[in-house]
Amino acid sequence: MHPAAWIVWATCAGLVAFTTTDPFYLGLVVAVSWFVYAAQRVPGPTERSFRVFAIAGLVTMAVRTALVFLGTVDAGSVAFAALEGARLATLLIVFGTFNAVTDPFGVVRLAPRRFHEPALAAALALSIAPRTISMVGRVREAQRLRGMHPSAWRALPTLAVPVLETGMEEAVTLAESMDSRGHGRGRRSRYRPDRWTLGAIVVVVASLIAAGVFLVAAFTGSPALHPSTFPLTWPEADPRLLATIGLLLVPAFLSRPSVDDEGQVR
Amino acid sequence: MSALRFDAVSFSYPDADRPALHDASVSIDEGTFALAVGATGAGKSTLLRAANGLVPHFTGGRFSGRVVVDGRDTLEHAPRALADAVAYVPQDAAASFVLDRVEDELAYGMENLGVDPVHMRRRVEEMLDLLDVEPLRRRSVRSLSGGEQQRVAIAAALAAGPRILVLDEPTSQLDPQGAEHVVAALQRLVHDQGMTVLLAEHRLERVASFVDLALGFERGTVVPGEPAEVIRRLAMGPPVARLGRLVGWDPVPLTVREARRLGGRLAPFELPVERHDGVRTATAPGETLVRVAGLEARHGESTALRGIDLEVRRGEVVAVMGRNGAGKTTLLRSIVGVHEPTRGSIAVDGHAPTPGVDVALCPQEPEVVLFAETVADEVRATRRARDLPDDPMPMLDALGIADLAPLHPRDVSAGQRLLVATAAIAAAEAPVLLLDEPTRGLDPSSKDRLAGYLRSHASGGGAAMVATHDVELAAAVATRVVILAGGEVIADGDPGVVLGDSTVFAPQMTRAFGAGWLTPEQVAGALA
Amino acid sequence: MITEERSLTSPAAPLATPGLSARARALAGGSRLRLVALVVINLVGLLAFLWPFVLPVTPGVNENHANDGPVILAVLVICLGAVLFVELGRGGLGPKTIALLGVLGAAMVALRLPGFVAGFSAMFIVVLVAGNAFGPGFGFLLGAVGTFASGLFLGGLGPWLPFQMVAVGWVGMGAGLLPRTSWPVRICSLAVYGAIAGYLFGAIMNLWSWPFLTTGTAVDWDPTAGAATNLRHYLAFYAASSFAWDTFRAVGNAVLVLVLGRPLLGALDRAARRMRLEVSR
Repeated sequence: MHPAAWIVWATCAGLVAFTTTDPFYLGLVVAVSWFVYAAQRVPGPTERSFRVFAIAGLVTMAVRTALVFLGTVDAGSVAFAALEGARLATLLIVFGTFNAVTDPFGVVRLAPRRFHEPALAAALALSIAPRTISMVGRVREAQRLRGMHPSAWRALPTLAVPVLETGMEEAVTLAESMDSRGHGRGRRSRYRPDRWTLGAIVVVVASLIAAGVFLVAAFTGSPALHPSTFPLTWPEADPRLLATIGLLLVPAFLSRPSVDDEGQVR
Repeated sequence: MSALRFDAVSFSYPDADRPALHDASVSIDEGTFALAVGATGAGKSTLLRAANGLVPHFTGGRFSGRVVVDGRDTLEHAPRALADAVAYVPQDAAASFVLDRVEDELAYGMENLGVDPVHMRRRVEEMLDLLDVEPLRRRSVRSLSGGEQQRVAIAAALAAGPRILVLDEPTSQLDPQGAEHVVAALQRLVHDQGMTVLLAEHRLERVASFVDLALGFERGTVVPGEPAEVIRRLAMGPPVARLGRLVGWDPVPLTVREARRLGGRLAPFELPVERHDGVRTATAPGETLVRVAGLEARHGESTALRGIDLEVRRGEVVAVMGRNGAGKTTLLRSIVGVHEPTRGSIAVDGHAPTPGVDVALCPQEPEVVLFAETVADEVRATRRARDLPDDPMPMLDALGIADLAPLHPRDVSAGQRLLVATAAIAAAEAPVLLLDEPTRGLDPSSKDRLAGYLRSHASGGGAAMVATHDVELAAAVATRVVILAGGEVIADGDPGVVLGDSTVFAPQMTRAFGAGWLTPEQVAGALA
Repeated sequence: MITEERSLTSPAAPLATPGLSARARALAGGSRLRLVALVVINLVGLLAFLWPFVLPVTPGVNENHANDGPVILAVLVICLGAVLFVELGRGGLGPKTIALLGVLGAAMVALRLPGFVAGFSAMFIVVLVAGNAFGPGFGFLLGAVGTFASGLFLGGLGPWLPFQMVAVGWVGMGAGLLPRTSWPVRICSLAVYGAIAGYLFGAIMNLWSWPFLTTGTAVDWDPTAGAATNLRHYLAFYAASSFAWDTFRAVGNAVLVLVLGRPLLGALDRAARRMRLEVSR
């Protein structure tokens, strides 16, 4: 799916979570996020983002709740803190899904014309990083091969300098190559722009509706969104709002991203 | 019809004391396959960069004269403006890639030129076929082999439609198979497509017979001429050319076939070895220094070495050969002690090897070794770490690079860098010296110095093992040749026998005159 | 045959130290008006970060608008970042700058690996030395681009990213404005700056989350109290929360600069010279 559609989805889901502390709504957003993750995750290093963010979310929630014990402790304040924490956790989980379903280069490709060059720099950093990492290993080994085992402090310059200097030389080659191939010459065209499919459009519309409903509810000060903790009462679960959250589930029904033999996302 | 013309071009890099190019005047016609020949630092790279305007727009410096490409003056057009006229491909193809996927990389140049998407798709397909890289189209460029990367870089530079292709040492980092593919592609471009190709190359045996025009570089001056004549005059070239010069043939042969015709038949060589040229180790090999028994090792998921038995004695220089993936690097790394074997044993001087103490290994990329401010400091650092007297000059003298002592290690040429790295590694004075593919990017004079050092190291009581593709280096310096395939030793013995027995690894002298003939000096001696 | 001598030598090598005002002006492309505009934009962005102190001062604020602060912050920071990017990119960055950003950004990504938090601290050394060697404009770009790329690489694009990008960018920008009269001066000022930046960075990033923490104690943000009271509350909060982390980071920065500064800066200066790069970009 077009990366911009994912950004819209994630932003809207995030907004929905941001506007409420009702555990039913938050819980449903979490469930929706998980479904979308399960259906649309891209195999690869970003796949585990969901778990990482989920854990981060739980930790945040725990810390937030624990902070209450610095002050007055009663059922109400604990509940309040827990709900605040739950909201943050939900936000994080939405981002976890986003990371796991998008291809990093896709996000970079989206950059508007003005940002094309910094985006290219970011994409370059992504491509070059694995080589830099392996270079560090090879430099370390080269020191061993010379019979040198410097102490930790002395080792740092012997590690950092070759990696940096080699990187600088490669930057010259890269810059020459870009210059020779016409970089910065004029208006650019795009080889294979991401295409907007019907599914992506539906996702965008559905997400915007969901966010819109919740934003309106928030601005009109609807009490349904923030269950009262002083006194502690059972939170509401308006079926209409629950259904609206269901709109965020649309991406889960689109075709799965396929990965061809070379590990490339189609 | 001139495609590329240099008129009295003189150029000095900024902060340089002498000019890199002096009054260079060359005219290259359309459809010519031209070769720039000369020692390192003679100005080849500079001229190549001047062809598309990198010199002087990218590099700065003082420039006089004129370069006209496709009718345009490079002083009036920045390199990016010439991207549709001339393509420049640097030596390090991997570092020149901008994007991730092969087909995106091909499209990059056209995107810059604002070509419309329909036309772009067509050109990308054409380039993929032309350079024979279509099966790779969705791969990440970083995952390709060296030869594949070079062809992708060429395709990417050509995608925007230029008719002139300039390449800086395209095959120096490649193994023989990769190099062949690249040279074949270049030939197709010239003969089938009518393109103009200008390349600089040290490994002349790979290209000398295909080129139409040679540019001889000597300290910044350029003299164009017939390939055979230029190569003879510059005292460079493939072994058959060196033979021609030694024996006084004019024109010198550039191919094995020409050498055979000129040399006639020679009496079959007496095998096994009794060297006439006296450059082999005069002393018989001594005690065993390295004993490898039943060595098995893994590389990642696969088995790299299956049961290797090998012994190396003092005074030997062993060339380890084999195609990519045969296990040469793994073998060397196991011997030096940084790669754990799964089975078997390695003993150096009777005990398990300690890296840097008993065995020293110079890795494939010399860059990873160098970290000091000056060449002299590199050697000093190693010697201090080993508690040896830290005067670097003896080591530098032994490799013939004493004049580089005050320079920054990265300010010297690629070949000299390898010598500096070797000096830094060998300064530890380990009796066993290992070199992994030292001839990448190596110019002939550096290669000679390296060969000389290996010989003196061996005759001084040490032993050396060199993993290499370079058949001519093996022919020149090895006292023994081992061939690996699929992780096993399939040949081990006298160079004349092993190399003579092989079709792939036969040096030019063997191919011209039969097994046992290894170096031009030998053959010249026999023909005299 | 035309023979004309065209001198294309670039201006002096970067180690010749132009004064602070000259460098700052070069950053703005020579126009004093643009420089003023850039300074104003940065101040506005900084104020946006400081909204918990600023907003209560505005009269007539009540509970309903307590949640506006973060939104205003987000919008302002994103606009600031965008404007800075556009300004710095005016006229095109050029292949040399992009290539350097890519290679150094890759170094930042690589340094991130040891750990989400510990690695984040190690990233700073790259921004510090590169900002110092190539100038404030480059330093800002590298901070932003490198942070973004490392977030992408680890699959860690979170809502905090725009703020991080701008804050790390500021660290790089500041490093480019330090004096470079001699090596000792250069290294010491960079080390001190690195330490201060470590604390300031933590303090500013914390500001983002602080207003959401209501513990019912004296460290809370109070929208009805004045700036001074909130500042006291915040300092207490900061001391209790991230002060330890930030000390680790500040000390780490300073130590890394002292140990690695000279060789790294030397290598970067050489690269700048070889690339004929103008320091301002």
